[in-house]
Amino acid sequence: MKVVFPRASKGSMTAVLVNTAGGVTGGDQFAFEARAGQGTHLTLTTQAAERTYRAQPGEMGQITNRLTLDPGAQVNWLPQETILFQGSSVRRRLNVDMAADARLCLAEPLVFGRAAMGEVLTNATFQDRIEIRREGKPLYLDALSLTGDVAAHLARPNIANGAGAMVTVVYAAPDAVARLDAVRAHLPDTAGASLIQDGLLALRILAADSHDLRTSLVPILTFLSDNTLPRPWMI
Amino acid sequence: MVMDGHTAMPTDAQILTLTQWFSPGYPVGAYAYSHGLEWGIEAGDVRDFSTAKQWVADVLSHGTGWNDALFMSAAFEADGDALAELDEECRAFAPSRERLKEADLQGAAFCEITGELLGARLKGLSYPVAVGRAARLADLPVQLTMQMYLQAFLANLAAVAMRLVPLGQTDGQRLIRDLTPMCSEIAKKAMGATLDDLSSTAFLADIASMKHELQYSRIFRT
Repeated sequence: MKVVFPRASKGSMTAVLVNTAGGVTGGDQFAFEARAGQGTHLTLTTQAAERTYRAQPGEMGQITNRLTLDPGAQVNWLPQETILFQGSSVRRRLNVDMAADARLCLAEPLVFGRAAMGEVLTNATFQDRIEIRREGKPLYLDALSLTGDVAAHLARPNIANGAGAMVTVVYAAPDAVARLDAVRAHLPDTAGASLIQDGLLALRILAADSHDLRTSLVPILTFLSDNTLPRPWMI
Repeated sequence: MVMDGHTAMPTDAQILTLTQWFSPGYPVGAYAYSHGLEWGIEAGDVRDFSTAKQWVADVLSHGTGWNDALFMSAAFEADGDALAELDEECRAFAPSRERLKEADLQGAAFCEITGELLGARLKGLSYPVAVGRAARLADLPVQLTMQMYLQAFLANLAAVAMRLVPLGQTDGQRLIRDLTPMCSEIAKKAMGATLDDLSSTAFLADIASMKHELQYSRIFRT
């Protein structure tokens, strides 16, 4: 893994994570950590979609990401899609610690199989967890565990109704309430947004495939990141 | 098998205490919350017995049912600061404003009445955490507590479906009867699990609860 910095000025930086292996497989362990100092602005993304390759039986890839936001810092955590492959097995964690007045915009897009080649996830494992703490207290916690015939599970009408892609977006900032109506105006029918509590907006979008997901997501992320959506997102 | 407080056969007194806690007359106000089902019915996703049953089954197994059981079981074991931290985690796990409201308001109401009845300090906990804590204070078997909590949750959602789909009384009761074994299975599985096993994948049911916030004409608070 390496990180390139296409844009950096005083107090503001964009960092692009490059997985030189092209993806994650069983037994891999990736850990990434970033800290945004007081009043700084950091945007993080990935150079390409992350792929989870077929794992050997009993092996599980591990991805651990950690972000720290000091007072007044702003972080946009905007990796490109993670594409789950048939036979893959990955456990991922994202931990965020933020100061009370810090601003976080986070998106984790997921794609269930390589649709273009007709891949169906009848056997895969993906365990994902996002934990955000503000001032040390739990603010937002999301956990999902998909195991075995993931496609059959996602086909259920109240689970994902057959969606091929999904994104979770969290916007945690003092002005979250002011963002809600505009975000809702951008949502397709298979999506919802909620101001869960003061300073915390969460939304989830389900889409037929990664292209449809991007079509919905790019305007929302452009808005939530105050027009600083990094170049790899522009297609 | 070791016959300790967790696995011993429940006594009549324990069973009857739980029956009281989870009866519709216990002042928790569960009848006011639809968990987003009201939107599912409005949108036409839930329109008959079989779609209602699937909605409730998915929320039980892959959403709030499973996760509440884990929080309840963890609360049964927690004290002091750990209990307070657990309550914060439970609230942080709410996927929408209305889901947080359900856990918050039902929890506050449950704490108020149950704290009085037990003569114990029970205050301001979210609903599953409050129930787990109260079960510990009242020396009740946690697995049975989970089962009966889940069945009450199920019966409440069935009542929503009976009123709004609408379903007839027999179909409503059949739905409860059909899904009751699921409550026992979830509780049993939760006994061997921890908060590492939290998993919420009832995505569209969660989205329904987000959309309910904007529903123009509605009977239920959530």
